[in-house]
Amino acid sequence: MTATATEVLETVRAEPTERWSPSVQGWVARLLVLGLIFGSVLWATANVPSYWADRISLAAIYAIIGLSLNIVLGYVGQVSLGHHGFVGIAAFVAAYYATQKAGCTVDTCSFNTFMTATVIAALSGAVAAMLLGLIALRIRGLYLALITLAYGFVAERSIFEIPFLTNGGAGMPATRPDGWATDREFAFLCFFFLAGVIFVDWRLLKSKVGRAILSIKHSEAVAATYGINVTAYKVLAFVLSGLFAGIAGSLFAFHETNVVSNNFNFANALLWVLMVVVGGLGNRIGVVIGSAFFALFPFLLLLIGPLEHFLRDTLHREPDYFTIVIGSGLAILTLIQYPGGIGEQVAPITRWLGGKPFSMHPEGHEKHKAPKKQRSGGLLAKVGLHKSQVSTENNTEELAALGRAVEGSKEDDSE
Amino acid sequence: MSSVLSIKNTGIRFGGLVALNDVNIEVPEWEIVGLIGPNGAGKTTLFNCIMGAYTPNSGTISYRGTDISLLPTHRRVAKGIGRTFQNIGLVRGLTVLENCMVAQHPRIGYGAAGALIGMPRTFAEERRLRNYAMEVLDFLDLTHLANSHLDGLPYGTLKLIEIGTVLATDPDLLLLDEPSSGMGPDEAHALGERLLKLRKTLNLTVLMIEHHVPLVVGVCDYVYVLNFGQVMTSGRPAEVQRHPEVIAAYLGGEVDESSSEEDADVPA
Repeated sequence: MTATATEVLETVRAEPTERWSPSVQGWVARLLVLGLIFGSVLWATANVPSYWADRISLAAIYAIIGLSLNIVLGYVGQVSLGHHGFVGIAAFVAAYYATQKAGCTVDTCSFNTFMTATVIAALSGAVAAMLLGLIALRIRGLYLALITLAYGFVAERSIFEIPFLTNGGAGMPATRPDGWATDREFAFLCFFFLAGVIFVDWRLLKSKVGRAILSIKHSEAVAATYGINVTAYKVLAFVLSGLFAGIAGSLFAFHETNVVSNNFNFANALLWVLMVVVGGLGNRIGVVIGSAFFALFPFLLLLIGPLEHFLRDTLHREPDYFTIVIGSGLAILTLIQYPGGIGEQVAPITRWLGGKPFSMHPEGHEKHKAPKKQRSGGLLAKVGLHKSQVSTENNTEELAALGRAVEGSKEDDSE
Repeated sequence: MSSVLSIKNTGIRFGGLVALNDVNIEVPEWEIVGLIGPNGAGKTTLFNCIMGAYTPNSGTISYRGTDISLLPTHRRVAKGIGRTFQNIGLVRGLTVLENCMVAQHPRIGYGAAGALIGMPRTFAEERRLRNYAMEVLDFLDLTHLANSHLDGLPYGTLKLIEIGTVLATDPDLLLLDEPSSGMGPDEAHALGERLLKLRKTLNLTVLMIEHHVPLVVGVCDYVYVLNFGQVMTSGRPAEVQRHPEVIAAYLGGEVDESSSEEDADVPA
């Protein structure tokens, strides 16, 4: 038996067909472009005026919120209109811990306190989202969206009104950690967290967890027959979303330095849904770009000089106000014309950066790519056989019967 | 030989509709057992009960001697029961290969933490999954489709891919729901060959719902006939084929008092 098995492994091995991979120059070019993109973002953060750096850190926080919402909206396929609840709860928990428990003053707060506050905030966000996940096991679609909406409002009206947690209308102070207190430094801190969240999102999606969640989105019945624990993975997805939202909430608290309940309202939740849709559902890079765009949008608007005068003096509105108006328009455009969102528009570039040839269509080259065969102790090795050894000769009797039956049916058909 | 699957006195009711009533079915080791019957007889409902999608009101379902009536679907899959669906049970949006990879879910040797950190073991496992999936596809002569998306593939091919994904779950018992639907007579014949080959090489036991009579006659060792949620008769395919009640049930003869076409089979 052992001898046969060894032989089998030998025969199963097939010649590996070559996969397209970029040349050395190709890799260098890709690294250069990648370096240019990251370099310019970091350079801009280091050199723009302070109030712009402040806005850039908000963009990073929005990107984390976008990725959090993307798990629910893009991967699980459910709508959450109550994300301001998770973010808000986490923000207040972080501020409460830093100011009331760890003794941060308006002037100073240690970095360790900040980190602990963020961990606690992330966990509280996860717990809050888990509740919603348990509800989502029973209810989905429009009704779940309504429940999340109610969830957000309940959080606004109850948790955000607890005096000891939120300090009433005055707000709960959250001093930025020492060494990261300026707008510019804090923006870099936010980048670190964004990078971490992107990494976790990427790793999980690339592994069995992501495949399981995607299967559940398409069909729960099929996912279950693939041996996937539908209940556990659905709750896990919500927990993960809450975890990201919690991190974002904590960063938001320290970004604002004073958290008031007005920071979190339904308009935010709506804006976040819009930015994920415009970024591209389920598309990590698209969501990050979309979120950052929406966070920076009011400032970009102000770059057009006369427009500021028009908005402020003629319409008497702050530029922030127009984000949601333009966002709705972009969302409609996305849904009708470009379903893949920003992510799909930049996909040729991201594919190229990822080491594939440049092509405008996702499967331009893959269609002709023969998949690589490798040896393995798999399906047939289990029973000590190879495909070529599996003959149907022994089945002659059964097959003859089958053949006769099929012939019979054909005759029936022709009659 | 011992029974792989034994269904005893199983019944299920949806409101006033009795979908299954006192059903007794034995699937012995290494046999291909057919399940036939007119539309709405409760065949797919029975599959749903076996997989745990529905909970029967009465009776027990045991797999290799242990009662599995209370296990959730994914635990039954892990025990070695694989199932295909009447309409295509594949994850659209994933490629053929990815479908075969997801289907190996219970046997993946790394946890969420391992996936997160990206341990060497994780990558080794991912490679193993891919290879195993390729081998399954190779076995069904589907390797050329490994990287294609499901949209646009012919129905019969999708049915075959579905069998591939079920094989990827490493089953001992296959539940096939109309595997030959969407296939012509020749393809159905080829499918029959494949099933016999599968059974021989992988030591599988099969319970299949099938309407294509030549396939049932050619492949099945034993046949159960369901009608109005009850086992009407059972026996060797050739015997069952000649059974007057079976002919009546299919062609609507005098034995059939009410020709109600209530479809209890809820598509998955």
